[in-house]
Amino acid sequence: MRPPSPSIPEKEFLFSTLEKSLRLDGRGLIEMRPLELTFGEELGHVDCTLGKTRVLAQVDAKMVRPLPERPFEGIISVHSEISPMASPEYESTGRPSDEEVALSRMLDKVIRRSDAVDREALCILAGQRVWHLRLTIHCLSDAGNLLDCACMAGMVALRHFRRPDVEVIGDEVTVHPPSSRAPVPLSLHHTPFSLTFALFAPSSSHTNISSQTAPITLLDPSLLEQRLASGTLSLALNAQRELCVVHKAGGVPLTPEEVLSAVNIAVQKAKELEKMVDARVREDWAMKKIEVR
Amino acid sequence: MSSRIEILNDGGFRSDGRRQYELREMTFDMAEQAGADGSASVAHGLTQVRVSVFGPREAKMRSQTIHDRANINVEVGIAPFSTGDRRKRSKGDKRILEFASTIKSTFEPVIQTALYPRSQIDIFVHVLQQDGGVLQACINATTLALANAGVPLLDFVCAVTGGVHAAAPMLDLTTLEENDLPHVTVAVMPRTGRVTLVSMETRLHVDRFEEILRLAGQAGGVIHKEMRAVVRERTKGLVDAMGAGVRTSDFAEDAMVADS
Amino acid sequence: MQITFTSFPSQSGLRSAYASATKHATEDDEDAYMDVEPFDDFESDSSRLTCPGETLTSAQSFMRGHGTYVDNDDVISSVAGTVERVNKLITVRALRTRYNPEVGDLVIGRITEVQPRRWKVDANSRQDAVLMLSSVNLPGGVQRRKLESDELQMRNFFEEGDLLVAEVQAFFSDGAMSLHTRSLKYGKLRNGQLVTVPPILVRRLKSHFFSLPSGVDLILGLNGYIWVSKHVKESEREGEEGFDAEAVYSNRNDDIDDATRTAIARVTNIIRILAAHSVPLTDVVLLEAYEWAVEQDADVKGLLQEDVSDALVAAVTSG
Repeated sequence: MRPPSPSIPEKEFLFSTLEKSLRLDGRGLIEMRPLELTFGEELGHVDCTLGKTRVLAQVDAKMVRPLPERPFEGIISVHSEISPMASPEYESTGRPSDEEVALSRMLDKVIRRSDAVDREALCILAGQRVWHLRLTIHCLSDAGNLLDCACMAGMVALRHFRRPDVEVIGDEVTVHPPSSRAPVPLSLHHTPFSLTFALFAPSSSHTNISSQTAPITLLDPSLLEQRLASGTLSLALNAQRELCVVHKAGGVPLTPEEVLSAVNIAVQKAKELEKMVDARVREDWAMKKIEVR
Repeated sequence: MSSRIEILNDGGFRSDGRRQYELREMTFDMAEQAGADGSASVAHGLTQVRVSVFGPREAKMRSQTIHDRANINVEVGIAPFSTGDRRKRSKGDKRILEFASTIKSTFEPVIQTALYPRSQIDIFVHVLQQDGGVLQACINATTLALANAGVPLLDFVCAVTGGVHAAAPMLDLTTLEENDLPHVTVAVMPRTGRVTLVSMETRLHVDRFEEILRLAGQAGGVIHKEMRAVVRERTKGLVDAMGAGVRTSDFAEDAMVADS
Repeated sequence: MQITFTSFPSQSGLRSAYASATKHATEDDEDAYMDVEPFDDFESDSSRLTCPGETLTSAQSFMRGHGTYVDNDDVISSVAGTVERVNKLITVRALRTRYNPEVGDLVIGRITEVQPRRWKVDANSRQDAVLMLSSVNLPGGVQRRKLESDELQMRNFFEEGDLLVAEVQAFFSDGAMSLHTRSLKYGKLRNGQLVTVPPILVRRLKSHFFSLPSGVDLILGLNGYIWVSKHVKESEREGEEGFDAEAVYSNRNDDIDDATRTAIARVTNIIRILAAHSVPLTDVVLLEAYEWAVEQDADVKGLLQEDVSDALVAAVTSG
């Protein structure tokens, strides 16, 4: 079912406020909704909320035989699903909707293709035993910008997770339970964060996309903004100023300068997010007393 | 990740003998395909793509009609023989679906869909050979096929890929280069020089990205000139052929009436 | 910095294997940004070509027509084709496009769907046309109210797949066209063959019905659908007072002798050849082509051979 499009007054009101650089929820144009991370009992279980958008991510690891073509690398798989519980517009049947494809591809690009996790460090015994990390993403509620929230949840879950320590003597593999030896965090190369901008065509002519004036760019669109936007720009990047994903398909065309200014905003945000996530993960680890000694 | 082949040697040549900013030879073929309203074949080096456009026509499914504009439907097929390892991809493959949705959302704002309420425009993309720059070839071929079908477009959409090897930007990568280098596909609308599509899936530093984005924008302009020349040539050919046949005296008058 | 092509690395700019094509591009660069002045003399040069995204003229002194849009006071082309001007109105006509209907046009269509009190007709347009039950001639009297019984037996008049000739009566608000067959000239088609050509090749003529010698009737639909059929005698077609519903809505072909069949096949092949060479189809051209074909004594199949068809086109266009 296609969701009913917002009414004309809603649309007009949103556009008129945006022209004055105001947003309906009182945020600034490049302000994100408050991000909250709640960790579960287990390691690698995180509940990420961005405003009212809520995503649950969970990591588990098990030992498997590696793929024959990559004997020195661990395996990472990402499962994501948008259930009808997130929003009535998602249906559980039939072929995956555009949103679902976009989400699972984005997660794949942010978490797997960007080489965030050091896969070789997941190898226990070459060609015999490797760790298989499974990341499951559950979208609980969609109030806009589900994509960023899901990527954030996935990355934070990977950072929070610790795998049991193992010892290899010859061909013997010993797994130490958490009670005897502290589990070890995953070795991550970097932490990419996904940031989505909604683009609005400038001034009254919302149909005429080829106009010369600069479009309005918003960070972290709400549901209404997302629906009315004429295009989005999704970036994924880490605090080291490295872009991992850039995805802008159609919508308002931008000048290269406008793209780059969005990138620069994202660079700042990524640094802030990195700091916050790092602090939250450490805080939680400290509380859980994972260390044995 | 690194292969034994040198991507860019000391003399400034790439593995296939090109220079950094050199594009591969491109061929644009706008010959008609029977049955389709418009079609085009595009080749960038060894990458070859064929696109057929049907419509605007009555929507196949009534649920898909949109009351105030045309619905655009894009389907992408990748031939199993298009790559080195013969592999059949199912229609539901998420990568293919994403590919189709990228093409769809790129062209949705460029086609003047508001002129065709309740209609449907079908775009069928077939990738026949892959050697890097598949998205770029698909976008360019779709532009030409739409122009060929007489579908009103705000502008051409011209796409090109760019990559960076050890701080040296390059254009129009082959599969070999794509496997080793971070690469970006950029599509520009040449009249305003604005960027309508940017797609990158590999890690790249922000400063390098800036460089390659600007470069790709320029290269888009070069590709545009080629595409426009081909469209013009075809238009001219058709006009000439039609002009040769006009002989009845009352014909010209009637044509005028038809336009007014 | 230079962006170049493979085959010509050292040349300036963008020359490529398309050397001849690129030459155009530079020339066009000048006229693409032509201002208002050169516009005045282009009336004589009626085939100015343009491409999507090219600026045609200023929007302040001209009005935009079909195939153009306005951005920042510029009239910009949105299709590839020829620029045409009527006073202050600028239009661009695309060369290959679907049929754009106008009221009064004669079209040939195929029924795609039977709906309550209407048929949907494919007429090579952007949407299926509508033929209302009230817009067809019903059996038993030229003018009478339609009855419920007519509604129930709509498939007796037209069924899915039937071909018909009709006239564009009006448009709906969304641009879909409404057809009518309320004339004895219009109605179901039989005893012949359909050929499809690009709609631009069929121009408005004094009459779209005409007969060729050797018993072939032609109907040139403005939507690019052409019906080639066995000749029906004038008297039979007109019918008597009232009309014979049986005959009009019949689904059976009359007997067609071999000579006529050959003639029909020959005419369809001629049309295909002319369309493939983008020759606009008029009664004069078709007659001439037919006569040429008969004169050459080419067999029907032989016409499609390249040398024969080239000779045919040359004969018709040079004349």
